[in-house]
Amino acid sequence: MPGLPLLLAQAFNGLALGSLLALSASGLTITLGTLGVLNFAHGALFMLGAYAAFVVLGHTHSFVLMVLAGGGFMLLMGFLIERVVIRLYYDRPHEDQILVTFGIGILIVEGVRFIFGGLSQRVPLPAWGQGIVALGFMLYPKYRLEVIGIVAVALFALYLVLYRTRIGLIVRAGIEDTTMVNMLGVNVRRTFMLVFAVGVLAAGFAGMVYAPLVAVDPDMGGAFLAESFVVVVIGGLGSFPGAVVGGLVAGEIISLTSAFNAEYSYVMLYAVMALLLVVQPRGLFGSEGRV
Amino acid sequence: MTGRSGVAARAVLPEVALAAALVGGFFVLPFIGGSADMFGRILMWGLFGLGLDLLFGYTGLLSFGQAAFYGTGGYVAAWLLVTHTIGNVWLALAFGTLAAGLWGILIGWLALRRVGIYFAMITLAFGEISFFLENSPLAHWTGGENGLPGVPVPHLGLGPHAFAFTSGWRMDALVGAFFLAGFALARRIVHSPFGAVLRAIKDNADRTAALGHAVGRYKLAVFVIAALYAGLAGGLLGVFQSYMPPEAFSLDTSGQLVAQTIIGGVGTLIGPLLGGAVWLYLQQNLQRIPGVGGLWKFLLGLIFVLLITLFRRGIAGSLREFWRHRQRTSLARSAETGSPLAAPPTLPLTAPVVHATRSPALEARGLSKSYGGIKAVQDVSLTVERGTIQAVIGPNGAGKTTLFKMLHGEVPPSSGDVFFFGRRITGLGVTSACQAGIGKSYQVNQLFAGLTVRENLRVAALARSLGAFRPALLAAATAIPAVERQIEAVLATIGLEARAELLPGTLAYGEKRRLEIGLALAAGPHVLLLDEPLAGMSPEERVATKRLIARLSERATLLIVEHDMDAVFELAQRISVLANGILLAHGTPAEVQSDPAVQEAYLGGLHAHESVGS
Amino acid sequence: MKNRQHPALGRRSVLAAGLAAGGALSLPLAVPQPAEAAGFPPLGTFPAGVSGDSVFVGITSPLTGAYSADGKDHALGYELAIAEINAGGANPAAWGLKGKGVLGKTIRYKIADDELKANVGVQEETQYIEQDKAIMITGCVDSATAIAVEELAQRMKVLNMVGCSGSNDTTGKDCQRYGFRSQPTAYMAAHALGPVVAKALGSNRKAAYLVPDYTYGFSVFDSFSAATKKYGWTVVSKQIVPVGAADYSSALINIANSGADVFVNVAFGNDAVASGKQADQFGVLKKMKMVVPNISSFQAQETGAKIMGGVFGTLDFWWTLQDRFPLAKRFVEAFYAKNKYYPNWGAHIAYMQTYIWALAVERAGTFYPVKVIKTLEESKADPFDSTLGKVWYRAEDHQMIRPVPVVQGKTPAEMKGPDDFFKIVELVPGEQVINPVTDLMGCKLGTYT
Repeated sequence: MPGLPLLLAQAFNGLALGSLLALSASGLTITLGTLGVLNFAHGALFMLGAYAAFVVLGHTHSFVLMVLAGGGFMLLMGFLIERVVIRLYYDRPHEDQILVTFGIGILIVEGVRFIFGGLSQRVPLPAWGQGIVALGFMLYPKYRLEVIGIVAVALFALYLVLYRTRIGLIVRAGIEDTTMVNMLGVNVRRTFMLVFAVGVLAAGFAGMVYAPLVAVDPDMGGAFLAESFVVVVIGGLGSFPGAVVGGLVAGEIISLTSAFNAEYSYVMLYAVMALLLVVQPRGLFGSEGRV
Repeated sequence: MTGRSGVAARAVLPEVALAAALVGGFFVLPFIGGSADMFGRILMWGLFGLGLDLLFGYTGLLSFGQAAFYGTGGYVAAWLLVTHTIGNVWLALAFGTLAAGLWGILIGWLALRRVGIYFAMITLAFGEISFFLENSPLAHWTGGENGLPGVPVPHLGLGPHAFAFTSGWRMDALVGAFFLAGFALARRIVHSPFGAVLRAIKDNADRTAALGHAVGRYKLAVFVIAALYAGLAGGLLGVFQSYMPPEAFSLDTSGQLVAQTIIGGVGTLIGPLLGGAVWLYLQQNLQRIPGVGGLWKFLLGLIFVLLITLFRRGIAGSLREFWRHRQRTSLARSAETGSPLAAPPTLPLTAPVVHATRSPALEARGLSKSYGGIKAVQDVSLTVERGTIQAVIGPNGAGKTTLFKMLHGEVPPSSGDVFFFGRRITGLGVTSACQAGIGKSYQVNQLFAGLTVRENLRVAALARSLGAFRPALLAAATAIPAVERQIEAVLATIGLEARAELLPGTLAYGEKRRLEIGLALAAGPHVLLLDEPLAGMSPEERVATKRLIARLSERATLLIVEHDMDAVFELAQRISVLANGILLAHGTPAEVQSDPAVQEAYLGGLHAHESVGS
Repeated sequence: MKNRQHPALGRRSVLAAGLAAGGALSLPLAVPQPAEAAGFPPLGTFPAGVSGDSVFVGITSPLTGAYSADGKDHALGYELAIAEINAGGANPAAWGLKGKGVLGKTIRYKIADDELKANVGVQEETQYIEQDKAIMITGCVDSATAIAVEELAQRMKVLNMVGCSGSNDTTGKDCQRYGFRSQPTAYMAAHALGPVVAKALGSNRKAAYLVPDYTYGFSVFDSFSAATKKYGWTVVSKQIVPVGAADYSSALINIANSGADVFVNVAFGNDAVASGKQADQFGVLKKMKMVVPNISSFQAQETGAKIMGGVFGTLDFWWTLQDRFPLAKRFVEAFYAKNKYYPNWGAHIAYMQTYIWALAVERAGTFYPVKVIKTLEESKADPFDSTLGKVWYRAEDHQMIRPVPVVQGKTPAEMKGPDDFFKIVELVPGEQVINPVTDLMGCKLGTYT
């Protein structure tokens, strides 16, 4: 039985792990909820964000520039993918959408491998993120602490977009009832494009923030995709609050399981999800939506 | 083509054609960049995919966890052989397949509580859990990431003259035989009564249940069948290459199977084989183009995106759709418009005879239902005497639909009981209610859009013929005489004989409404609940349908919810009036009409509510 | 095993541009017996695969997936060796080969992507055997594929020079008569490294382990903890983590709190890079010395000298070995000239064992696999001169007996160039650290025919 300080440390770390999952899952869930598209390229886009960070930071060493340029690049990618491919798939079955986004994922991963090679790239910590902070019960990397803050700000921004803007209103209405939104006469096409791009941005931004912490390589998105799915399902398909809470729950499951036996940390995530679905049909915050 | 042998030959034509194509493919493949090894692998993927196609293509359940069963079948068989627990390869394959089936029962039991993306995600999760079990806790037996090498090849016969299925054409012949047998079986299943129910479930699971099929058990059965196919294919993989790889359990395996099945064509049985051929062929040959190397996967991704975008139904599906489209349009042109209603129906298949001679056909005692704090129905008691037409009327929101749902077993009442010919059927559920002999036609059509009119009715008639669940996998769905006579009788009753081979989508609105009633009728009920049978009809259609309802009452007791007061007062012998969930009045049309409470609460504004939902 | 001769051997494929074709279906009724096949019965792809003036070598390597960088390196090693052997000249002559090619035959080859999947590796190699009549199959950078392909080689009776594989099982319980492995086993690496780190870091140390959750991870853990036990080292924490987990923070918190003074990082590839980086961020490397029993090819380059400086570990090969061995110098120079970077582990294994195979064939005087196998098995009496000096295969389990380089990472200040990441602390002779013949870890070599 691990001691209390260790459990506390792991619980805190779960918060950091969970915040990134929450951000990424938010992107996945609004795309799913609004457009009805389950984006299997989400992991690849996460990876693409990390490479964007690598390129921008390699040239400018400025975190702010990275956020701006990288974010702009991800939005552009989102527009492009929606306009060229996804748009053709709105009236097609889920499995076709899954398959086509899966194919897009392959294109992104292998394209990056072709350009940058298979070696992992080093993305340095920003100067203000170096060092370790004593939290009393544990020592914790400064950047990871800051990541919690950065993600919180990003999630809050997403919240503002979703709950305080006209587009957000449409998105939330769309999650409840798409035909209704269509009847309201809003420019659904443009909104869909924007929503998809915001989903891509969320994945990419998570990748950018995560890049200094991990090995940045073309295959880094695979595990992340699966975890984001689990979070979305735990939280309830299409639910933004669900994605946030689900992300934190997932982070805690991984971290707290690790306190006992790290081997079981990820499989525990799947087991919890499966059990939750058996007892709680629509996840924690799922609504009677379109999915 | 008149003789019996001609019929038999036509019955196995697809298998024979497929076998010929396979033999041809085997000889051609090495000349276009394939090999005997690739051929065998394509067949194994095809066999693996037959199960998924039954599950996904025919039943509509998309599983991302088929690797769990592929791996289980493979590892159990390989382990038995490698450890010499079992020496006989055939027996080991059987045990592996069985183990996959058992794992399928457990996972299916949990996963089938949900549908759609949730179902896909639960199966995905169990796939990952299975992989983990193989890799970590069971690594001592499975070899962890190294897998199990040294799986022996099977032999036919004994001693020195035994025929060994070594690699190359011998192994391919073996895998090919398994595939063909699997294909023939799958095709039998698709065309069996069981298969007919699966297709109905894919189309509209709720209606299938309401017509008396135990949908959950059918789903579990097909899930297990898919697991058995996967287990057999997995077992063969180990035998095929003398090595059982851990990737058999990976998410990639499940994903590749789904991708191949969709590329090849969902719901075609042959699709997974075609998709597998495309995938494996490209996998091996793209990278052999000079200068491509590691970029082959990029090209594969590109080709896939194009294939999925251009071929909506996959390769086989697109071809079949093209063929069917031509067939249908020619049929639609020949069909007549409008058909007279025939004589009263005599149905060969009806619910079992009920013995309680004195009790009413249907009786509600103190039925109440509340949703949250809202009381939709409060303490409603009514009896429907045998052989009568009785109506329930009331303004919108009066609780008529909720009352019908309780009578039909769709929702359990908060309190109170339902009796059917004296037998308490409260809370038994919609399937049991139908099996007991209560049929219901819905306010909003609940037809099987992907099935022809005849096939629609067959779903209902089969429920009466088979009971709630019978895994009649090998019989032909169209060869049960009583069922076919039932369909003909119902077709005649609802006047859709000339439309029998059309899809419901091509019918006129009134015809769809009649088919809706026909579905309920084909299940051979003693009591028919008709929820607004006249809603949305033109005056001519109303006349025809009223005549139909009058005919139906000659063989079943009818309970009708209807807003068309003229029709209600014309048809019904007794009328119950609901308002705000409370039974306001009950009696003959004349009694109800003269009831002051009814007049005050209801009749005043009645006609404004016509044909709007209750 | 009478039916084991491969039925799918017929005409040779004669198509250019890498497009494979051929009559894989005709039964071996009348295969013309080339001169050199005289006296040897048909076996595997022999003599069908040697009837022309060239032979085919089937190679797989992961060109996509988590080890694609290693896979690329691996492929370049094969390409260089085969190009040199086919061209003849100084390098093949220095190894002891005669003229151009092997026994005068040109080597043809293809490199297929095994995607880091054992199943795909087997699939590709089978295609090589069936379609191209490969006389030798080789390649891969993971033990699962190595073991699976060895099994295939044994069944098909085609020689397999195992690619990169460190698992004890490859020449242990899953060893095969037709498989030869030249990389040191986990056992060898651990027993070479143990004494060196015990000397450098002291006796009676407390070690915390990060162990990836697969049998390779466990065998490295078992070997290294056993090898250091006699120096009084204890295991205070063993964190088993999923392979490919990307984020190791939870396990590292446990390690940081374990009170250990040595951090033994068993994770491999990108997992090693990520976990090393995160260990630094969590302050683990301030409290503990890091030891990496098996350093991945590009680990130093990917992680950076700041973290890798001072780290102890073993490598299959490091390019500065060119200062000690003339053949290594030739290899490194030729590789650098062609590819503009220093070869790593993957390239070295590929290059070295292609040469050793060619040498064995020439010594045997035939491609007949049984003769070639016996030549390799008898190499103790007459070791091959190689990039690592004198090396030979143990007849009992087909493990190469070769020196194991124990290295230490250089700090940025110590580096003399951008690629100068390691100093060779010791070249431990293979005989000293290999498991005794009395304990072959379950190896039972299969039959010759």
